[in-house]
Parts: sequence; structure tokens; C-alpha cells
Amino acid sequence: MEAVCSLKRIKGGRKARRLFELLWFEHGAGTYLSCIGIRQDAAMNQTGCPEVKVPFPVFFTVGIVSLAENLLVVVAVMRSRNLHSPMYCFMCSLAAFNTIASVTKTWENLMIVLADAGHLERRGPPETDLDDVMDSLLCMSFVGSISSFLAIAVDRYITIFHALRYHNIMTMQRTAAILGLIWTSCAVLAVLMVKFFNFKFIVICFIVFFVVSLAAICFLYVYMFMMARIHAKNIAALPGGGRDKSHHQRRWGSNMRGALTLTILFGAFVVCWAPFFVHLVIITVCPMNPYCECYRSLFELHVVLMMSHALIDPAIYAFRMAELRHTFRKMLFCSDWKFCL
Amino acid sequence: MSDFHNRSQVSARRSDYIWQYEYYEDEEPVSFEGLKAHRYSIVIGFWVGLAVFVIFMFFVLTLLTKTGAPHQENPESGEKRHRPEGCLVDISGHQDDNDKAFSRPLLEGSRSYFNFYISEEDQAHEKQKLEDKRSAAKDKAGRLQRSAELDEMDEDIEGGGGHQPLNGLIEKSKSDRECAFLSHFSIPNFVNLDHGSTLGEDDLLYEPSVILERESQAHNGHCDTH
Repeated sequence: MEAVCSLKRIKGGRKARRLFELLWFEHGAGTYLSCIGIRQDAAMNQTGCPEVKVPFPVFFTVGIVSLAENLLVVVAVMRSRNLHSPMYCFMCSLAAFNTIASVTKTWENLMIVLADAGHLERRGPPETDLDDVMDSLLCMSFVGSISSFLAIAVDRYITIFHALRYHNIMTMQRTAAILGLIWTSCAVLAVLMVKFFNFKFIVICFIVFFVVSLAAICFLYVYMFMMARIHAKNIAALPGGGRDKSHHQRRWGSNMRGALTLTILFGAFVVCWAPFFVHLVIITVCPMNPYCECYRSLFELHVVLMMSHALIDPAIYAFRMAELRHTFRKMLFCSDWKFCL
Repeated sequence: MSDFHNRSQVSARRSDYIWQYEYYEDEEPVSFEGLKAHRYSIVIGFWVGLAVFVIFMFFVLTLLTKTGAPHQENPESGEKRHRPEGCLVDISGHQDDNDKAFSRPLLEGSRSYFNFYISEEDQAHEKQKLEDKRSAAKDKAGRLQRSAELDEMDEDIEGGGGHQPLNGLIEKSKSDRECAFLSHFSIPNFVNLDHGSTLGEDDLLYEPSVILERESQAHNGHCDTH
């Protein structure tokens, strides 16, 4: 019987061969040092930044709750006839990508737990192939959810600024075409990225895509917000338009709420996604720097943040729509399913 | 080190191990000697920068509410502008596909909006009309279900949904003047942005005006049969 004892320098691995391989192997860092003949300088550098470990129950909880929420959104949009509009289709696509991400991440955690317990071999061919598949799915869901955010922002922009022509511009056929394009390009990109991750070019493309999407979403929402405020001021400035104190106070309160809504929407996106992408930047730019290594030691925290974005996404997009909430209530509290929808 | 020793005892009994040392790189390990700043300085700097960015964005958004709206146009002159007929004609075709996307309250809201515009030509009811406009706008804005937080933002815009009772006004406008005013029915620009706006002729009119068009056609048919 053959066994492969592979010694890997995980903590402080300066040039990650594969991004998600880091994720796979860093969880079980301790179990790798069970071979004899460990050279002293190959041992973990204890004076550096120790890796921050997130316990498995946290990963599982976040994964399962986000899976449940997003699956609920997907099922609600698909089953309810009056939610078949472009806006809801984009939200359904976002929820589907989040579902894939949650499933994949939870499964990966499960496999890591099993591998740590000794039931799985980490370097065997089926495991590495499975690792490849999971990395591709994760990549696809990341790129896909960013694209879905962009699509939702563009759809809202068209709703506001081309309101009369909205139904000409955004027909259901075009929506289906856009969604098909998003899904196929995400699948292709994911496979390419995982196969050719060794090239720096791919990582740079990934980062550039993220930054460009972020800038576009920021611009669209701030522009919409600005125009909505101007609209509000114009309405309020109509003659005979109640200049009493209470009206002004109500407007100030509502303005603050609008600003808060936008800040939450955009802030959650940035806070959850930026650490991971800065990690990508760092492994490309400064692999040898000790400061960068301390940043990289927080990798698991950043992945948990990304997963929690899949958790809070339904709360800030889907659950705020009254129509969708109504459909949920009907779905969940209706005794006879076939009759309800 | 003791459990390494223990495990080495166990693994030494097996004779058929293949030893593989995999290193990511052959270089020296990262040394943490002689660091000038704190070890986690990049992490701290990143999170502080992110927090500052989010707070800055929030303050920029709240400032926009205070300093926006360069100047307000005269509403009367704006209302007399007519939208070109072509704008309304081309959207009617796709309405049937998207009808199910609109729930009933939207139509009811737009009906009151429609009736408001019917009464617009009447000079005697100008003040009432302006109140209608605002309450109809609130009504409409409160019932637009197309966009989530823009839905909320619209409600916020219109002052948190203080709906004024419309029923009496709706009844009044419906009964006498509907058919009479349909012949000179025109949809003015509801909101006029400033002249420097780059939006062109696409003002912030919402789709109730689309439904107005269809309803006007329906009412035309209805009036013609009488």
C-alpha cells in the first residue's frame, strides 16, 4: 500500500499556485506536518502572523442559511406568474448564483472536514478533479453575481430615465438573451480562470473586472439618487406646496432614509467583496512582503465575508419588494401548495 | 514536538512511503525581522480606508440632498408643454406582455393620476389640481412596484406616504368632465428638470402615463358609444 506524504508549506506560501487550492489546503494545515523528517526551516514560522482560523460551524451556518434564503427567492420568482418581469428575473439570477456559491462552499467545507478526519485523501485524482469543479463553480458564481448586480443597476437606471420606453427597451426576450449571455460567459470564464490561473494575466483580468463593475454600479446608483432628489425638490417647489415645518422635516427624514438605503446597498457590496479582491492583488503584487503576508493570513475571514454577502443579498434586494414578500407569505403559509400558486 | 515524535514512530513502521517535498518556492522564508511598523498595518489601513470610504459616500449622498436642484422652473409654463405623440404611441404594443407584471393598485393609482390630468384644463380647479398632483404623485410613487429601494426612495421622496383622500376628488372629476375633456386631453411634462440637464426629452415621467394613453383610448371608445 502506497501513501503519499506530502509536505506543503502552507502558511506563508508566497506564490499561490491556485487560489482555491489555498482555501482547500489551508484549512487542514495542521494535518500536513505529520511526516517525519520535517526540516526546521520548513516548519511553520511561529514568529510571523498566525493564520486566523474560522471554525467550521460558522461556515456551515452561513452556507446553509444563505442557501435557504436564495433558494426561496428562486422558487418564488419561478413559480409566481406575476413576478415574470425583467427586474425580478435579474434578481432571480442573482439568487441562483448565490445559491450555487452557497452549495459549493458548503460542500467544500464538508469535504475538508472529511479530509481532516482522514476519510478522504487530499491529493488523489478524484479529489483534485472535484476541487477543480468546485473552484470553477465558485468562480462562476462570483463573476455571475457581480454581473447580476450590474444588470439590476442598469435595469433600474432604464426604469428611471427611460420610463416611457422601458417596455420597448427591456422586453422579456431581451431579458432572456441578457441572462443567457451572463450565464454562458460566466461558465466559460470560470473554466478558463481555473485552468489558467497560473498566469498573472487572469488574476489581473479578474481584478479589473471587479473594479470596473464597482465603478459602474456606483455611478449608476449615485446618478439615479441625484436625479430622484432633484425630482423631489421640483415636486415640493410647486406653488401652494406646503412650506410648513412638518413638510420640511418629513423631507429631510425621507432624504436621510434614501441616502441610508443606498449606502447600505453599496456599502455591503464593497465591504464584502473588496477584502477578497485585495487579497488577489496582494498575492500578485507583493508575495514576499511580511506585511502582505499578515494580510494573507486573514484569508478565511475574507471568505466568510464573501459568503455572508450571499446571506444578506436577499435582505437588501429581494425582500424589500412588497410583491415578493407577498408571494413568500402565500408560499410559506398556504396550506395547499398547488392551489396557492 | 512530542506528537511529531509519536507520529514519526507510527509512520516509521511503514516502509513504503513515498516522500515528496512540495514547496511553492525555493526561496528563503519571509522573515519578520526588523519590521518598522506594526505587523497588521496593511490590514488596519485597508479597513480604515474602507470605513472612511463608506462614511464619505454616505455624507456625499446626504449633501446631495441639500445642494441639489439648481433652480426650479415655473410649473405652469412647464405644464403647457406637450409631449410629442410619437413618444406615447410606440410603447402601447408591448403593454399586454407586461400587464401581469403590474398589480392592480398600480392601475388604480394611475386612474387617479389620469383623472387629475383630465381636470388640469379646468382653470377654476387649478389649486385643487396642484394638490391632486402632489397626492397623486405620492399615490403613484407609493405604488410603483418596479424597483425595490427606489420604490422606497420614491416613497421617501414624496414625504413618507402621507396619502390624502382622493376618493371625493376622483368621483367629482370622473362624473361630469371626463368625456368632455378627452377631446383636448394632453399630457404635459410633469416634472421639468433644469435646462442644463443632459437627459434630453426623457423626463422623469413614469409609466402611469402609458396607462393613461390606453385608458384614454378606452374612454374614447366608451364615450363614443354614448
